[in-house]
Amino acid sequence: MSKRKFIVKSNVLDIANFAKMIPTRKAKLENGSAAPVPKTYPINELAKLNHPGKIALVIDDIIVHSDDVKSFIFKSADGKKLAPFRAGQYLTLQLKIGNSIVTRPYSIASTPNNAREGFYNLTIKRVPDGFVSGYILDNFKVGDEITAYSPEGTFVYEPIRDAKTVVGIAGGSGITPFLSLAGSIADGTCEANLVLLYGARTVNDLVFKKELDELNKNDKITVVYVLSDAKTRGYEKGFIDAELIKKYAPADEAYSIFLCGPKAMYEFAGKEIEKLGIRKKFVRFELFSSASKANQIPGFPMEKEGLSFKMTVVRYGTETVVDCLSNESILVALERAGIEAPARCRSGECGFCRSKLLGGEVFIPSNTDGRRIADIKFGYIHPCSTYPMSDITIRVD
Amino acid sequence: MAKWDVIVIGAGNGGLSSAVTFAKAGKKVLILEKHNVPGGYATSFKRGRFEFEASLHELSSYGCVPGAGNIRKIFEELGVHEKIDWCRIPDAYRMITLSDPDKIDVTMPFGVGEYIEKMEQYVPGSRKKMEEIFALCEKLTRTGDFFGNINGIDANMIQEVFEDHMDFVRVAPYSANEVLKAAGLPKRARDIFNAYWCYLGVDCDTINAIHYLGLVDRYINYGAVCAKGRSHELSCAFQERFEELGGTIYLNSFVDKIIMENGKAVGVHVKDRDEIEYADCIVCNSSPHNAVAKMIDPKDLPEMAVRHTNARKFAGRGFTMFLGLDKSPEELGIKEHCYMIYDTANTVQQVKSMATIEGNNSQATCCLNNAVPGCSPEGTTVLYFTTLYTEDCWSKVDEKDYVKTKEYVANKMIDNFEKATGCKIRDSIEEIEIATPATYARYADAPQGTIYGYNADKWDGIVQRLLMPASDDFIPNLYFAGGYCAQGLGFGSAYTNGYQTANRIMKKQQKEAQA
Repeated sequence: MSKRKFIVKSNVLDIANFAKMIPTRKAKLENGSAAPVPKTYPINELAKLNHPGKIALVIDDIIVHSDDVKSFIFKSADGKKLAPFRAGQYLTLQLKIGNSIVTRPYSIASTPNNAREGFYNLTIKRVPDGFVSGYILDNFKVGDEITAYSPEGTFVYEPIRDAKTVVGIAGGSGITPFLSLAGSIADGTCEANLVLLYGARTVNDLVFKKELDELNKNDKITVVYVLSDAKTRGYEKGFIDAELIKKYAPADEAYSIFLCGPKAMYEFAGKEIEKLGIRKKFVRFELFSSASKANQIPGFPMEKEGLSFKMTVVRYGTETVVDCLSNESILVALERAGIEAPARCRSGECGFCRSKLLGGEVFIPSNTDGRRIADIKFGYIHPCSTYPMSDITIRVD
Repeated sequence: MAKWDVIVIGAGNGGLSSAVTFAKAGKKVLILEKHNVPGGYATSFKRGRFEFEASLHELSSYGCVPGAGNIRKIFEELGVHEKIDWCRIPDAYRMITLSDPDKIDVTMPFGVGEYIEKMEQYVPGSRKKMEEIFALCEKLTRTGDFFGNINGIDANMIQEVFEDHMDFVRVAPYSANEVLKAAGLPKRARDIFNAYWCYLGVDCDTINAIHYLGLVDRYINYGAVCAKGRSHELSCAFQERFEELGGTIYLNSFVDKIIMENGKAVGVHVKDRDEIEYADCIVCNSSPHNAVAKMIDPKDLPEMAVRHTNARKFAGRGFTMFLGLDKSPEELGIKEHCYMIYDTANTVQQVKSMATIEGNNSQATCCLNNAVPGCSPEGTTVLYFTTLYTEDCWSKVDEKDYVKTKEYVANKMIDNFEKATGCKIRDSIEEIEIATPATYARYADAPQGTIYGYNADKWDGIVQRLLMPASDDFIPNLYFAGGYCAQGLGFGSAYTNGYQTANRIMKKQQKEAQA
């Protein structure tokens, strides 16, 4: 190492300048303004507007499509501006039903511009044997105040990533994110083309047909109805398969496939899409929790089917013991016990319910295991997609 | 008697390292964190088949052998080191300038000898000066450690300082460029040597020489590392160690108020559960700005706290684009881990152009696969691109234009990367996520979305801050730890600050107990 002294300006000046450093800073700090320190800044306000966390909504109107399908028009309950969102995103409603505190994500059917005008539309379809959808359809009335988590989700059109044309495959209530996308294409917010293949059993099962027929007049939007049960003039008949996609997709350029629908459709259309040999980047699914029973999930340990266990829940220093079932996710057991467990997507993906498994055996289906590498390493689980296989202990924050 | 010895507000890097330091000393510690994961910016997120690193480019001062490098020493002492699967970063950086007439495109290695050798190839005749500078760096780092581990400077130390640390004293009042020029380093070598400036966000005519030379030394001398499980693994490892030591951490617990009694901080209010927790000492990992403006009742604030806080200036506001690509780095031709892409090697000019969204063409781009092999599925690549805004220009963006503005910057970053490296990435984008200053504002409640804490201005550089470690102690029993504090921004700095702050507080408490 060099023994030479390092001099910057001069021997004397360097030391004199060093001696000034602390007094200079002291003086600067002491001479700061005595006016109150600003609480916020425009960009922080934009952040709050975009992601307000829990929001208070009120039902302003209800549109009845049928006994099993209704649209709920939500407005702000506390006068705050509604959070903006991107077509394809969802709202998570938080409800107290009996003793249970539950959450359910619903794609927003209205457009981003509608949110700016002051409303969201959630169109909800009755799920056979569903716990929440039935409650909503039978109980929600105009004027009810509802708590929700602000919009989120990644089932959105990204011009940098996606092809110019989206082939949307929709089934049942899976039409809602596409209605929002089509609306935002029509009003110029989103620069894309949409070919929408909308599957239903019969004409009567096509929700939003009137709105979609109207959108179909737009040059950038093509709506194709695909009926599985009835042969009707002017409609495609059958299921949405590779041939049908090819028939309507652009022939000479890349296209993105977006799929949202019931589980049976994922399974069928998923295989059909594979036949097309499209790069993964051009295929996007919206995963919502399927109503399927745990014992139908591949890999489920059948010897544990139908067993009930005890779950010890550690929360902020207190312990509660509740019942849980091997066939139901840990999140459902928490909700049934009235524990306000954090949850949003309910499909293993968003990680909002992340909790620490302190003891016991669990089953985590690999297709919905959305955990981070370190969470797996350090023993965390996503209760929405984890099933108890013994008595367990978890910590829920 | 308060229930806790220490409450730590926020489980960011500084919060976690201070909490573990306290817990290791037998203190009863509670961490309150508003998110459902620890770490603050030190985290990860998943999109499709990719898990993205949220913020860490590379952790410096982490050598290959036990005890090598400051940060490694701290991780070892605290018992966190062995919990982490470490990956070494292969090379220091590739620096490319886009608009300089005399374009720079250099790839620099780790290792002082290797670095000097490579510099000699790019700038013949620079060897001797580089050797002198690295020798100086080493001395400065040693002294920097000395200052970092003492409680400021007092009269008793003057003699020691002047005998053992004279080079430090001479260099300390000056900027990096003043010192590099005085050392006689040729301009082009200076330009290449200054590539790391973006890790501090302050141009090299302004950044304190000790700060900058110390940073280069910590990278080049010790190399750099990251964790296989992204920085989320670092955060989880800290949390696990903290709990092993008997610490308590509550997630989803947002502290909105600091409770004051008789002019002293005595507790905090947790908004989510409307509960108050009391402690003898409070360590705030959030910014002094948040504490002074929002968490403490104005009637309890000494005027000095307000003046000190208002005097500080925010450093760079963050913007990051995360890409998952459906081709391998080999197919894309991406060989390096870290690309520093600038308009110009003139750091003063570069900082100026980063004051606006339109003017900013600089980026530090990392290819995670070149540090963590197998970090994404076979045949794919993870890239992330970070830039800073040196002014609050994003505050002018209207809600309606927000998404379009994000896309505008993202497109520019992609174009500039392709232009600089010749690697075509645009057609391979399978996942994209964008974090803007609004994202950082939301995630860490960061004023203006700053990710770099307080600007290391000439008068507010880390030397002055380290020499005045108690200058933010404006409320009795309330301390700050993390990126807004003495050591400045960055992972290593925040970990170091948390560790040193905890030790400083305990020393002070001991003294008070004796008195």
